[in-house]
Amino acid sequence: MRETDLLVVGAGAAGLSAASEAAKHGLAVTVLDDNLLPGGQYFRRLPTGYHHTHETVFDKERQRANALYATTGQKGITYLNDAVVWESPENGVLAFARGADSGRIRAKLTIIASGAHDRPAPFPGWTLPGVVTAGGLQNLLKGQRVIPGRRAIVAGNGPLVLLVGATLARAGAELREVVEAAPILKRLAGSIADLIAMPKIVRQAVDYRLAIMKSGARLRTGWTVIEARGADELEEVVLAPIDATGKVDRSRARAVKADLLVVGFGLMPSIELVRLLDCKLEWKPLRGGWVPVRGADFETSRPGVLAVGDGAGIGGVEMALREGKLAGVIAAERLGKLSRDQAANLKAPIQAEIAKVETFRRGLERLYAMPPAFLDLLTPETIVCRCEDVTAGELRARQDAGFGSTAALKGTTRTTMGRCQGRNCLRTLSALIAQASGQPIEQVTMPRPRLPARLVTIGDLLQEELPPIEMPKDPHLPRGERVS
Amino acid sequence: MTGFRITDGIDRGTAFQFTCDGESVTAYPGESIAAALMAAGKRQTRVTARRQMPRGLYCGMGVCWECIMIVNGKPAVRACMTPAEPGMKVETQHGVGDPA
Repeated sequence: MRETDLLVVGAGAAGLSAASEAAKHGLAVTVLDDNLLPGGQYFRRLPTGYHHTHETVFDKERQRANALYATTGQKGITYLNDAVVWESPENGVLAFARGADSGRIRAKLTIIASGAHDRPAPFPGWTLPGVVTAGGLQNLLKGQRVIPGRRAIVAGNGPLVLLVGATLARAGAELREVVEAAPILKRLAGSIADLIAMPKIVRQAVDYRLAIMKSGARLRTGWTVIEARGADELEEVVLAPIDATGKVDRSRARAVKADLLVVGFGLMPSIELVRLLDCKLEWKPLRGGWVPVRGADFETSRPGVLAVGDGAGIGGVEMALREGKLAGVIAAERLGKLSRDQAANLKAPIQAEIAKVETFRRGLERLYAMPPAFLDLLTPETIVCRCEDVTAGELRARQDAGFGSTAALKGTTRTTMGRCQGRNCLRTLSALIAQASGQPIEQVTMPRPRLPARLVTIGDLLQEELPPIEMPKDPHLPRGERVS
Repeated sequence: MTGFRITDGIDRGTAFQFTCDGESVTAYPGESIAAALMAAGKRQTRVTARRQMPRGLYCGMGVCWECIMIVNGKPAVRACMTPAEPGMKVETQHGVGDPA
Protein backbone atom coordinates (compact mmCIF):
# COMPACT_ATOMS: atom_id res chain seq x y z
CA MET A 1 0.00 0.00 0.00
CA ARG A 2 1.18 3.54 -0.76
CA GLU A 3 1.75 5.87 2.17
CA THR A 4 1.78 9.63 2.46
CA ASP A 5 1.70 12.30 5.16
CA LEU A 6 -1.16 14.25 3.62
CA LEU A 7 -3.64 13.00 1.07
CA VAL A 8 -5.55 15.63 -0.88
CA VAL A 9 -8.58 14.54 -2.90
CA GLY A 10 -9.22 16.98 -5.73
CA ALA A 11 -6.83 19.10 -7.80
CA GLY A 12 -8.97 22.20 -8.08
CA ALA A 13 -8.47 25.61 -6.49
CA ALA A 14 -8.84 24.35 -2.89
CA GLY A 15 -6.97 21.05 -3.27
CA LEU A 16 -3.95 22.42 -5.08
CA SER A 17 -3.66 25.39 -2.70
CA ALA A 18 -3.71 23.01 0.25
CA ALA A 19 -1.16 20.68 -1.33
CA SER A 20 1.18 23.51 -2.27
CA GLU A 21 1.14 25.09 1.17
CA ALA A 22 1.57 21.77 2.99
CA ALA A 23 4.46 20.67 0.78
CA LYS A 24 6.14 24.04 1.29
CA HIS A 25 6.37 23.26 4.99
CA GLY A 26 7.88 19.84 4.39
CA LEU A 27 4.97 17.40 4.25
CA ALA A 28 4.91 14.52 1.77
CA VAL A 29 1.67 15.19 -0.10
CA THR A 30 -0.26 13.00 -2.55
CA VAL A 31 -2.98 14.57 -4.68
CA LEU A 32 -5.63 12.38 -6.31
CA ASP A 33 -7.80 13.93 -9.02
CA ASP A 34 -10.35 12.42 -11.37
CA ASN A 35 -9.52 14.73 -14.28
CA LEU A 36 -6.74 14.29 -16.82
CA LEU A 37 -5.39 17.80 -16.23
CA PRO A 38 -5.09 19.78 -12.97
CA GLY A 39 -7.07 22.92 -12.16
CA GLY A 40 -10.51 21.58 -11.29
CA GLN A 41 -13.48 23.31 -12.87
CA TYR A 42 -12.68 26.99 -12.37
CA PHE A 43 -9.07 26.71 -13.54
CA ARG A 44 -9.84 24.11 -16.21
CA ARG A 45 -6.86 23.78 -18.48
CA LEU A 46 -6.66 23.82 -22.27
CA PRO A 47 -5.17 20.71 -23.88
CA THR A 48 -1.41 20.82 -23.37
CA GLY A 49 -0.83 20.89 -27.14
CA TYR A 50 -2.78 24.16 -27.55
CA HIS A 51 -0.74 27.37 -27.54
CA HIS A 52 -1.78 30.90 -26.77
CA THR A 53 -0.84 33.21 -29.64
CA HIS A 54 -1.96 36.35 -27.78
CA GLU A 55 -3.98 37.31 -24.72
CA THR A 56 -7.73 37.52 -25.12
CA VAL A 57 -10.58 38.39 -22.77
CA PHE A 58 -10.71 34.69 -21.81
CA ASP A 59 -7.13 34.64 -20.50
CA LYS A 60 -7.51 36.94 -17.50
CA GLU A 61 -6.92 34.14 -14.99
CA ARG A 62 -3.92 32.66 -16.79
CA GLN A 63 -1.35 33.77 -14.24
CA ARG A 64 -3.18 32.31 -11.25
CA ALA A 65 -4.04 29.20 -13.26
CA ASN A 66 -0.44 28.57 -14.31
CA ALA A 67 0.76 28.99 -10.73
CA LEU A 68 -1.73 26.35 -9.60
CA TYR A 69 -0.85 23.91 -12.42
CA ALA A 70 2.83 24.28 -11.48
CA THR A 71 2.17 22.98 -7.98
CA THR A 72 1.62 19.47 -9.40
CA GLY A 73 5.37 19.39 -10.07
CA GLN A 74 6.34 21.00 -6.77
CA LYS A 75 8.89 19.26 -4.52
CA GLY A 76 7.13 16.96 -2.05
CA ILE A 77 3.95 16.57 -4.12
CA THR A 78 2.93 13.35 -5.88
CA TYR A 79 0.14 14.17 -8.30
CA LEU A 80 -2.00 11.32 -9.63
CA ASN A 81 -4.42 12.40 -12.36
CA ASP A 82 -7.33 10.37 -13.76
CA ALA A 83 -7.73 8.70 -10.35
CA VAL A 84 -11.22 8.01 -9.01
CA VAL A 85 -11.53 7.65 -5.23
CA TRP A 86 -14.24 5.08 -4.67
CA GLU A 87 -13.92 3.55 -1.22
CA SER A 88 -12.42 3.84 2.25
CA PRO A 89 -11.64 0.31 3.43
CA GLU A 90 -10.43 1.47 6.84
CA ASN A 91 -9.75 4.67 8.77
CA GLY A 92 -7.03 6.72 7.07
CA VAL A 93 -7.03 4.61 3.89
CA LEU A 94 -8.67 5.47 0.57
CA ALA A 95 -8.95 3.19 -2.45
CA PHE A 96 -8.69 4.71 -5.91
CA ALA A 97 -9.17 3.44 -9.45
CA ARG A 98 -6.51 4.43 -11.96
CA GLY A 99 -6.38 1.68 -14.56
CA ALA A 100 -3.36 -0.58 -14.05
CA ASP A 101 -2.12 1.83 -11.36
CA SER A 102 -5.19 1.44 -9.12
CA GLY A 103 -4.56 0.94 -5.44
CA ARG A 104 -4.89 2.07 -1.87
CA ILE A 105 -3.18 4.82 0.00
CA ARG A 106 -2.73 5.37 3.73
CA ALA A 107 -2.45 8.96 4.96
CA LYS A 108 -1.84 10.56 8.36
CA LEU A 109 -4.28 13.29 7.38
CA THR A 110 -6.78 13.65 4.53
CA ILE A 111 -8.11 16.84 2.97
CA ILE A 112 -11.21 16.46 0.81
CA ALA A 113 -11.52 19.18 -1.80
CA SER A 114 -14.16 17.53 -3.96
CA GLY A 115 -15.62 20.65 -5.55
CA ALA A 116 -19.14 21.17 -6.79
CA HIS A 117 -21.47 20.67 -9.69
CA ASP A 118 -24.60 22.36 -11.00
CA ARG A 119 -27.75 21.92 -8.99
CA PRO A 120 -30.34 20.06 -11.04
CA ALA A 121 -33.38 22.19 -11.85
CA PRO A 122 -35.76 20.07 -13.90
CA PHE A 123 -38.34 21.56 -16.26
CA PRO A 124 -40.06 20.13 -19.33
CA GLY A 125 -37.48 19.54 -22.06
CA TRP A 126 -34.37 19.93 -19.88
CA THR A 127 -32.99 16.64 -21.22
CA LEU A 128 -32.85 17.80 -24.88
CA PRO A 129 -29.42 17.96 -26.52
CA GLY A 130 -28.58 21.66 -26.63
CA VAL A 131 -29.52 22.26 -22.99
CA VAL A 132 -26.30 22.42 -20.97
CA THR A 133 -25.38 23.54 -17.46
CA ALA A 134 -23.61 26.80 -16.68
CA GLY A 135 -20.66 24.87 -15.29
CA GLY A 136 -20.54 22.74 -18.41
CA LEU A 137 -20.55 25.78 -20.67
CA GLN A 138 -17.71 27.41 -18.74
CA ASN A 139 -15.75 24.14 -18.89
CA LEU A 140 -16.16 23.92 -22.64
CA LEU A 141 -14.94 27.49 -22.90
CA LYS A 142 -11.95 27.08 -20.59
CA GLY A 143 -10.96 23.53 -21.40
CA GLN A 144 -11.80 23.42 -25.10
CA ARG A 145 -12.59 26.95 -26.35
CA VAL A 146 -15.73 25.52 -27.92
CA ILE A 147 -19.26 26.94 -27.72
CA PRO A 148 -21.88 24.19 -28.13
CA GLY A 149 -24.45 26.21 -30.11
CA ARG A 150 -24.97 29.52 -31.86
CA ARG A 151 -28.30 31.11 -31.00
CA ALA A 152 -28.17 31.19 -27.22
CA ILE A 153 -30.26 31.80 -24.12
CA VAL A 154 -28.99 31.79 -20.54
CA ALA A 155 -31.40 31.19 -17.66
CA GLY A 156 -30.98 30.50 -13.98
CA ASN A 157 -30.26 31.97 -10.61
CA GLY A 158 -26.94 33.14 -9.25
CA PRO A 159 -23.75 34.86 -10.31
CA LEU A 160 -22.97 32.29 -13.02
CA VAL A 161 -25.88 33.60 -15.09
CA LEU A 162 -24.14 36.93 -15.75
CA LEU A 163 -20.78 35.19 -16.24
CA VAL A 164 -22.13 32.76 -18.84
CA GLY A 165 -24.02 35.54 -20.60
CA ALA A 166 -20.81 37.52 -20.90
CA THR A 167 -18.90 34.43 -22.07
CA LEU A 168 -21.36 33.82 -24.90
CA ALA A 169 -21.47 37.49 -25.88
CA ARG A 170 -17.68 37.73 -25.98
CA ALA A 171 -17.33 34.43 -27.84
CA GLY A 172 -19.46 35.77 -30.65
CA ALA A 173 -22.58 33.66 -30.13
CA GLU A 174 -25.94 35.18 -31.06
CA LEU A 175 -27.00 35.81 -27.49
CA ARG A 176 -30.76 36.39 -27.33
CA GLU A 177 -31.84 36.49 -23.70
CA VAL A 178 -30.20 36.35 -20.29
CA VAL A 179 -32.75 35.73 -17.55
CA GLU A 180 -32.08 35.77 -13.82
CA ALA A 181 -34.85 34.43 -11.60
CA ALA A 182 -34.14 36.62 -8.58
CA PRO A 183 -35.12 40.33 -8.75
CA ILE A 184 -31.50 41.35 -8.22
CA LEU A 185 -31.81 44.91 -9.48
CA LYS A 186 -34.41 45.70 -6.82
CA ARG A 187 -32.18 44.18 -4.13
CA LEU A 188 -28.87 45.68 -5.13
CA ALA A 189 -29.12 48.63 -2.76
CA GLY A 190 -29.55 46.27 0.20
CA SER A 191 -26.52 44.16 -0.69
CA ILE A 192 -23.93 46.54 -2.04
CA ALA A 193 -22.40 47.39 1.35
CA ASP A 194 -21.35 43.74 1.77
CA LEU A 195 -20.54 43.11 -1.88
CA ILE A 196 -17.87 45.81 -2.00
CA ALA A 197 -15.79 43.73 0.42
CA MET A 198 -14.55 42.14 -2.82
CA PRO A 199 -14.31 45.15 -5.19
CA LYS A 200 -12.60 43.14 -7.93
CA ILE A 201 -15.56 40.77 -8.24
CA VAL A 202 -18.03 43.67 -8.29
CA ARG A 203 -16.07 45.26 -11.15
CA GLN A 204 -16.11 41.93 -13.00
CA ALA A 205 -19.88 41.69 -12.61
CA VAL A 206 -20.29 45.19 -14.08
CA ASP A 207 -18.08 44.14 -17.01
CA TYR A 208 -20.20 41.03 -17.57
CA ARG A 209 -23.35 43.12 -17.60
CA LEU A 210 -21.83 45.58 -20.10
CA ALA A 211 -20.72 42.73 -22.38
CA ILE A 212 -24.25 41.31 -22.37
CA MET A 213 -25.84 44.69 -23.08
CA LYS A 214 -23.35 45.44 -25.86
CA SER A 215 -24.28 42.17 -27.57
CA GLY A 216 -27.85 43.38 -27.94
CA ALA A 217 -29.21 40.56 -25.80
CA ARG A 218 -32.07 41.24 -23.47
CA LEU A 219 -31.24 40.95 -19.76
CA ARG A 220 -34.29 40.25 -17.61
CA THR A 221 -34.43 39.81 -13.87
CA GLY A 222 -37.33 38.10 -12.13
CA TRP A 223 -37.79 35.76 -15.13
CA THR A 224 -37.14 32.05 -15.55
CA VAL A 225 -37.09 29.29 -18.14
CA ILE A 226 -40.23 27.15 -17.93
CA GLU A 227 -39.83 24.82 -20.91
CA ALA A 228 -37.40 23.71 -23.63
CA ARG A 229 -38.91 22.41 -26.86
CA GLY A 230 -37.59 20.47 -29.83
CA ALA A 231 -37.78 17.12 -31.58
CA ASP A 232 -34.30 15.58 -31.39
CA GLU A 233 -32.59 18.68 -30.06
CA LEU A 234 -33.37 22.12 -28.71
CA GLU A 235 -35.32 24.42 -31.02
CA GLU A 236 -37.23 26.80 -28.75
CA VAL A 237 -37.18 28.02 -25.15
CA VAL A 238 -40.19 29.30 -23.21
CA LEU A 239 -39.52 32.05 -20.65
CA ALA A 240 -41.91 33.55 -18.11
CA PRO A 241 -41.82 36.13 -15.32
CA ILE A 242 -42.05 35.25 -11.63
CA ASP A 243 -44.62 37.31 -9.76
CA ALA A 244 -44.27 38.94 -6.35
CA THR A 245 -45.47 35.78 -4.55
CA GLY A 246 -42.81 33.64 -6.24
CA LYS A 247 -45.22 32.01 -8.71
CA VAL A 248 -44.54 31.71 -12.42
CA ASP A 249 -46.89 33.94 -14.44
CA ARG A 250 -47.65 31.73 -17.44
CA SER A 251 -49.99 34.31 -18.96
CA ARG A 252 -46.93 36.40 -19.89
CA ALA A 253 -44.80 33.49 -21.15
CA ARG A 254 -42.96 33.93 -24.42
CA ALA A 255 -41.22 31.45 -26.71
CA VAL A 256 -37.81 32.27 -28.20
CA LYS A 257 -36.04 30.29 -30.95
CA ALA A 258 -32.66 29.00 -29.79
CA ASP A 259 -30.27 26.10 -30.33
CA LEU A 260 -28.40 26.56 -27.04
CA LEU A 261 -29.91 26.97 -23.59
CA VAL A 262 -27.51 27.31 -20.70
CA VAL A 263 -29.14 26.70 -17.31
CA GLY A 264 -27.47 27.64 -14.06
CA PHE A 265 -29.51 27.41 -10.88
CA GLY A 266 -26.55 27.49 -8.55
CA LEU A 267 -24.02 24.88 -7.50
CA MET A 268 -24.13 22.11 -4.94
CA PRO A 269 -21.18 20.55 -3.10
CA SER A 270 -20.04 17.11 -4.26
CA ILE A 271 -20.56 15.22 -1.02
CA GLU A 272 -20.41 11.59 -2.12
CA LEU A 273 -17.02 11.01 -0.51
CA VAL A 274 -17.83 12.65 2.83
CA ARG A 275 -21.08 10.68 2.84
CA LEU A 276 -19.24 7.43 2.20
CA LEU A 277 -16.88 8.31 5.06
CA ASP A 278 -19.95 8.76 7.24
CA CYS A 279 -19.09 12.38 8.02
CA LYS A 280 -21.92 14.22 9.73
CA LEU A 281 -23.79 16.57 7.38
CA GLU A 282 -25.81 19.73 7.93
CA TRP A 283 -28.27 21.57 5.69
CA LYS A 284 -27.07 25.00 4.61
CA PRO A 285 -29.24 26.15 1.71
CA LEU A 286 -27.18 29.26 1.05
CA ARG A 287 -24.00 27.15 0.75
CA GLY A 288 -25.61 24.75 -1.72
CA GLY A 289 -27.55 22.32 0.52
CA TRP A 290 -25.98 19.38 2.35
CA VAL A 291 -22.46 20.15 3.56
CA PRO A 292 -20.13 18.33 5.95
CA VAL A 293 -20.21 19.65 9.52
CA ARG A 294 -16.79 21.19 10.14
CA GLY A 295 -15.19 22.00 13.46
CA ALA A 296 -12.33 24.37 14.09
CA ASP A 297 -9.57 23.85 11.53
CA PHE A 298 -11.95 22.41 8.89
CA GLU A 299 -12.08 18.96 10.49
CA THR A 300 -15.18 16.89 9.72
CA SER A 301 -16.84 14.63 12.30
CA ARG A 302 -14.41 11.94 11.13
CA PRO A 303 -11.07 12.59 12.89
CA GLY A 304 -8.20 13.23 10.51
CA VAL A 305 -10.49 14.13 7.61
CA LEU A 306 -10.70 17.82 6.67
CA ALA A 307 -13.01 19.31 4.04
CA VAL A 308 -12.35 22.56 2.16
CA GLY A 309 -13.51 24.58 -0.82
CA ASP A 310 -16.83 24.32 -2.65
CA GLY A 311 -17.13 20.65 -1.67
CA ALA A 312 -17.54 21.79 1.93
CA GLY A 313 -20.10 24.50 1.07
CA ILE A 314 -20.29 26.74 -1.97
CA GLY A 315 -18.05 29.74 -1.41
CA GLY A 316 -16.60 30.36 -4.86
CA VAL A 317 -13.03 30.32 -6.11
CA GLU A 318 -11.71 33.10 -3.85
CA MET A 319 -12.92 31.21 -0.79
CA ALA A 320 -11.59 27.88 -2.10
CA LEU A 321 -8.09 29.22 -2.73
CA ARG A 322 -7.89 30.65 0.78
CA GLU A 323 -9.48 27.72 2.59
CA GLY A 324 -7.07 25.42 0.78
CA LYS A 325 -4.06 27.45 1.80
CA LEU A 326 -5.25 27.61 5.39
CA ALA A 327 -5.81 23.84 5.41
CA GLY A 328 -2.22 23.38 4.20
CA VAL A 329 -0.96 25.34 7.21
CA ILE A 330 -3.26 23.39 9.53
CA ALA A 331 -1.97 20.08 8.15
CA ALA A 332 1.68 21.14 8.56
CA GLU A 333 0.98 22.19 12.15
CA ARG A 334 -0.87 18.99 13.02
CA LEU A 335 1.87 16.81 11.60
CA GLY A 336 4.60 18.68 13.48
CA LYS A 337 6.19 20.72 10.71
CA LEU A 338 5.12 24.07 12.17
CA SER A 339 5.02 25.22 15.78
CA ARG A 340 1.79 26.62 17.14
CA ASP A 341 3.17 30.18 16.95
CA GLN A 342 4.51 29.76 13.42
CA ALA A 343 1.16 28.39 12.30
CA ALA A 344 -0.78 31.17 14.04
CA ASN A 345 1.31 33.80 12.22
CA LEU A 346 0.64 32.15 8.89
CA LYS A 347 -3.06 31.66 9.58
CA ALA A 348 -3.93 35.22 10.66
CA PRO A 349 -3.65 36.97 7.27
CA ILE A 350 -5.48 34.14 5.46
CA GLN A 351 -8.29 34.20 8.04
CA ALA A 352 -8.62 37.97 7.57
CA GLU A 353 -9.04 37.44 3.83
CA ILE A 354 -11.57 34.67 4.38
CA ALA A 355 -13.59 37.05 6.58
CA LYS A 356 -13.76 39.50 3.67
CA VAL A 357 -14.93 36.80 1.28
CA GLU A 358 -17.56 35.78 3.83
CA THR A 359 -18.87 39.34 4.00
CA PHE A 360 -19.08 39.37 0.21
CA ARG A 361 -20.89 36.00 0.21
CA ARG A 362 -23.51 37.35 2.62
CA GLY A 363 -24.28 40.17 0.20
CA LEU A 364 -24.39 37.75 -2.70
CA GLU A 365 -26.72 35.38 -0.88
CA ARG A 366 -29.17 38.22 -0.08
CA LEU A 367 -29.00 39.40 -3.68
CA TYR A 368 -29.78 36.05 -5.26
CA ALA A 369 -32.00 34.29 -2.69
CA MET A 370 -34.92 32.72 -4.50
CA PRO A 371 -38.03 30.88 -3.33
CA PRO A 372 -37.81 27.18 -4.33
CA ALA A 373 -40.56 27.46 -6.94
CA PHE A 374 -39.03 25.07 -9.44
CA LEU A 375 -41.24 22.10 -8.54
CA ASP A 376 -44.14 24.10 -10.04
CA LEU A 377 -42.51 23.61 -13.45
CA LEU A 378 -42.70 19.81 -13.36
CA THR A 379 -45.31 18.23 -15.65
CA PRO A 380 -46.11 14.50 -15.32
CA GLU A 381 -43.87 13.88 -18.37
CA THR A 382 -40.87 15.82 -17.04
CA ILE A 383 -37.85 13.60 -16.45
CA VAL A 384 -36.55 13.74 -12.87
CA CYS A 385 -33.97 10.93 -13.04
CA ARG A 386 -32.09 11.36 -16.31
CA CYS A 387 -30.12 8.11 -16.09
CA GLU A 388 -33.11 5.84 -15.53
CA ASP A 389 -35.70 7.91 -17.46
CA VAL A 390 -38.04 8.28 -14.48
CA THR A 391 -40.66 11.03 -14.77
CA ALA A 392 -42.24 13.26 -12.14
CA GLY A 393 -45.59 11.61 -12.94
CA GLU A 394 -44.23 8.13 -12.17
CA LEU A 395 -42.77 9.32 -8.90
CA ARG A 396 -45.91 11.14 -7.83
CA ALA A 397 -48.01 8.07 -8.65
CA ARG A 398 -45.77 5.97 -6.41
CA GLN A 399 -46.02 8.60 -3.70
CA ASP A 400 -49.81 8.50 -3.96
CA ALA A 401 -49.59 4.70 -3.60
CA GLY A 402 -47.81 5.15 -0.27
CA PHE A 403 -44.13 5.04 -1.20
CA GLY A 404 -43.08 8.04 0.86
CA SER A 405 -39.31 7.78 1.42
CA THR A 406 -36.29 8.24 -0.82
CA ALA A 407 -35.37 4.59 -0.21
CA ALA A 408 -38.83 3.32 -1.20
CA LEU A 409 -38.97 5.47 -4.33
CA LYS A 410 -35.42 4.46 -5.21
CA GLY A 411 -36.22 0.78 -4.77
CA THR A 412 -39.39 0.88 -6.84
CA THR A 413 -38.36 3.24 -9.67
CA ARG A 414 -34.52 3.06 -9.82
CA THR A 415 -34.36 6.85 -9.30
CA THR A 416 -30.81 7.72 -8.07
CA MET A 417 -29.53 4.27 -9.15
CA GLY A 418 -28.14 5.20 -12.56
CA ARG A 419 -24.66 6.17 -13.64
CA CYS A 420 -24.74 9.65 -12.08
CA GLN A 421 -25.50 7.94 -8.75
CA GLY A 422 -28.17 10.43 -7.83
CA ARG A 423 -26.15 13.58 -8.34
CA ASN A 424 -28.75 14.90 -10.80
CA CYS A 425 -31.95 13.65 -9.17
CA LEU A 426 -31.60 13.05 -5.44
CA ARG A 427 -32.20 16.73 -4.68
CA THR A 428 -35.40 16.76 -6.76
CA LEU A 429 -36.55 13.47 -5.26
CA SER A 430 -36.06 14.86 -1.75
CA ALA A 431 -37.94 18.03 -2.72
CA LEU A 432 -40.89 16.00 -4.05
CA ILE A 433 -41.05 14.05 -0.79
CA ALA A 434 -40.79 17.24 1.26
CA GLN A 435 -43.60 18.79 -0.78
CA ALA A 436 -45.88 15.78 -0.36
CA SER A 437 -45.22 15.28 3.35
CA GLY A 438 -44.98 18.91 4.38
CA GLN A 439 -41.61 18.32 6.04
CA PRO A 440 -38.68 20.64 5.42
CA ILE A 441 -36.30 19.10 2.85
CA GLU A 442 -33.52 18.69 5.42
CA GLN A 443 -35.70 16.21 7.32
CA VAL A 444 -36.02 13.94 4.29
CA THR A 445 -33.62 11.03 4.85
CA MET A 446 -31.22 10.36 1.99
CA PRO A 447 -30.72 6.79 0.81
CA ARG A 448 -27.76 5.04 2.38
CA PRO A 449 -24.53 5.79 0.52
CA ARG A 450 -23.23 2.71 -1.29
CA LEU A 451 -19.97 1.68 -2.85
CA PRO A 452 -18.44 2.75 -5.10
CA ALA A 453 -18.47 6.49 -4.31
CA ARG A 454 -18.00 7.00 -8.06
CA LEU A 455 -18.29 4.60 -10.96
CA VAL A 456 -15.30 2.32 -11.50
CA THR A 457 -14.87 -0.68 -13.77
CA ILE A 458 -14.24 -4.25 -12.73
CA GLY A 459 -10.91 -3.92 -14.52
CA ASP A 460 -9.94 -1.06 -12.20
CA LEU A 461 -10.78 -3.16 -9.18
CA LEU A 462 -8.64 -5.97 -10.56
CA GLN A 463 -5.91 -3.38 -11.13
CA GLU A 464 -5.54 -4.27 -14.78
CA GLU A 465 -6.97 -3.37 -18.15
CA LEU A 466 -9.66 -5.78 -19.33
CA PRO A 467 -10.93 -6.09 -22.92
CA PRO A 468 -14.35 -4.51 -23.63
CA ILE A 469 -17.24 -6.60 -22.41
CA GLU A 470 -19.64 -8.18 -24.95
CA MET A 471 -22.90 -6.38 -24.31
CA PRO A 472 -26.24 -8.10 -24.86
CA LYS A 473 -27.85 -7.07 -28.15
CA ASP A 474 -31.25 -6.28 -26.66
CA PRO A 475 -30.91 -2.79 -25.16
CA HIS A 476 -33.70 -3.16 -22.63
CA LEU A 477 -32.68 -6.58 -21.36
CA PRO A 478 -30.80 -5.53 -18.23
CA ARG A 479 -33.25 -2.76 -17.40
CA GLY A 480 -36.62 -4.49 -17.19
CA GLU A 481 -39.56 -2.94 -18.99
CA ARG A 482 -39.30 -0.63 -21.95
CA VAL A 483 -41.60 2.41 -21.99
CA SER A 484 -42.44 4.57 -24.95
CA MET B 1 -27.23 25.47 -36.47
CA THR B 2 -23.97 24.35 -34.95
CA GLY B 3 -21.51 25.00 -32.23
CA PHE B 4 -18.15 26.55 -33.00
CA ARG B 5 -14.53 26.79 -31.97
CA ILE B 6 -13.17 30.10 -30.68
CA THR B 7 -10.03 30.61 -32.74
CA ASP B 8 -8.85 34.00 -31.47
CA GLY B 9 -5.67 33.65 -29.42
CA ILE B 10 -5.36 29.88 -29.77
CA ASP B 11 -3.13 27.72 -31.97
CA ARG B 12 -4.57 24.21 -31.76
CA GLY B 13 -1.84 22.41 -33.70
CA THR B 14 -2.51 20.01 -36.55
CA ALA B 15 -6.04 18.76 -37.14
CA PHE B 16 -6.85 15.08 -37.58
CA GLN B 17 -9.95 13.02 -38.33
CA PHE B 18 -11.96 10.44 -36.47
CA THR B 19 -15.34 8.98 -37.33
CA CYS B 20 -18.71 9.29 -35.66
CA ASP B 21 -21.37 6.88 -36.92
CA GLY B 22 -19.23 6.48 -40.03
CA GLU B 23 -18.92 10.21 -40.79
CA SER B 24 -15.58 11.97 -40.68
CA VAL B 25 -15.12 14.53 -37.87
CA THR B 26 -12.25 17.01 -37.43
CA ALA B 27 -10.47 17.28 -34.07
CA TYR B 28 -7.26 18.69 -32.59
CA PRO B 29 -4.74 16.99 -30.27
CA GLY B 30 -6.20 16.92 -26.77
CA GLU B 31 -9.69 18.01 -27.82
CA SER B 32 -12.50 16.06 -26.17
CA ILE B 33 -14.77 13.91 -28.32
CA ALA B 34 -17.72 16.02 -27.14
CA ALA B 35 -16.08 19.32 -28.09
CA ALA B 36 -15.13 18.06 -31.55
CA LEU B 37 -18.64 16.73 -32.15
CA MET B 38 -20.30 19.94 -31.05
CA ALA B 39 -18.01 22.02 -33.23
CA ALA B 40 -19.16 19.73 -36.07
CA GLY B 41 -22.81 20.36 -35.20
CA LYS B 42 -23.53 16.91 -33.77
CA ARG B 43 -25.03 17.18 -30.31
CA GLN B 44 -26.90 13.95 -29.74
CA THR B 45 -24.60 11.37 -28.18
CA ARG B 46 -26.97 8.66 -27.06
CA VAL B 47 -30.56 7.39 -26.98
CA THR B 48 -31.83 6.27 -23.58
CA ALA B 49 -32.71 2.64 -22.88
CA ARG B 50 -36.13 2.99 -21.34
CA ARG B 51 -37.83 5.81 -23.24
CA GLN B 52 -35.57 6.10 -26.31
CA MET B 53 -34.99 9.79 -25.65
CA PRO B 54 -32.17 11.76 -27.31
CA ARG B 55 -29.46 13.05 -24.98
CA GLY B 56 -26.25 15.01 -25.29
CA LEU B 57 -23.63 16.78 -23.25
CA TYR B 58 -25.22 18.30 -20.14
CA CYS B 59 -22.87 18.80 -17.17
CA GLY B 60 -19.62 18.97 -19.12
CA MET B 61 -17.56 17.76 -16.16
CA GLY B 62 -17.97 13.99 -15.97
CA VAL B 63 -20.74 14.01 -13.36
CA CYS B 64 -23.95 13.25 -15.30
CA TRP B 65 -22.93 10.51 -17.79
CA GLU B 66 -25.40 11.89 -20.35
CA CYS B 67 -22.80 12.18 -23.13
CA ILE B 68 -21.75 8.53 -23.10
CA MET B 69 -20.95 6.95 -26.46
CA ILE B 70 -19.42 3.78 -27.86
CA VAL B 71 -15.73 4.45 -28.47
CA ASN B 72 -13.68 1.86 -30.36
CA GLY B 73 -16.29 -0.72 -29.41
CA LYS B 74 -16.36 0.14 -25.70
CA PRO B 75 -19.77 1.40 -24.47
CA ALA B 76 -20.45 4.06 -21.83
CA VAL B 77 -17.41 6.24 -22.52
CA ARG B 78 -17.94 9.87 -21.48
CA ALA B 79 -17.41 12.05 -24.56
CA CYS B 80 -16.75 15.13 -22.39
CA MET B 81 -13.87 13.46 -20.50
CA THR B 82 -12.21 11.55 -23.33
CA PRO B 83 -9.79 13.14 -25.79
CA ALA B 84 -10.39 12.33 -29.46
CA GLU B 85 -7.64 10.39 -31.23
CA PRO B 86 -6.81 10.00 -34.92
CA GLY B 87 -8.83 7.21 -36.50
CA MET B 88 -10.98 6.69 -33.42
CA LYS B 89 -14.33 5.02 -34.09
CA VAL B 90 -17.13 6.76 -32.17
CA GLU B 91 -20.76 5.68 -32.29
CA THR B 92 -24.04 6.98 -30.90
CA GLN B 93 -24.97 4.73 -27.97
CA HIS B 94 -28.42 3.20 -28.02
CA GLY B 95 -29.60 1.95 -24.66
CA VAL B 96 -26.88 0.25 -22.67
CA GLY B 97 -24.45 -0.14 -25.50
CA ASP B 98 -25.76 -1.46 -28.79
CA PRO B 99 -24.27 0.40 -31.74
CA ALA B 100 -26.69 2.21 -34.06
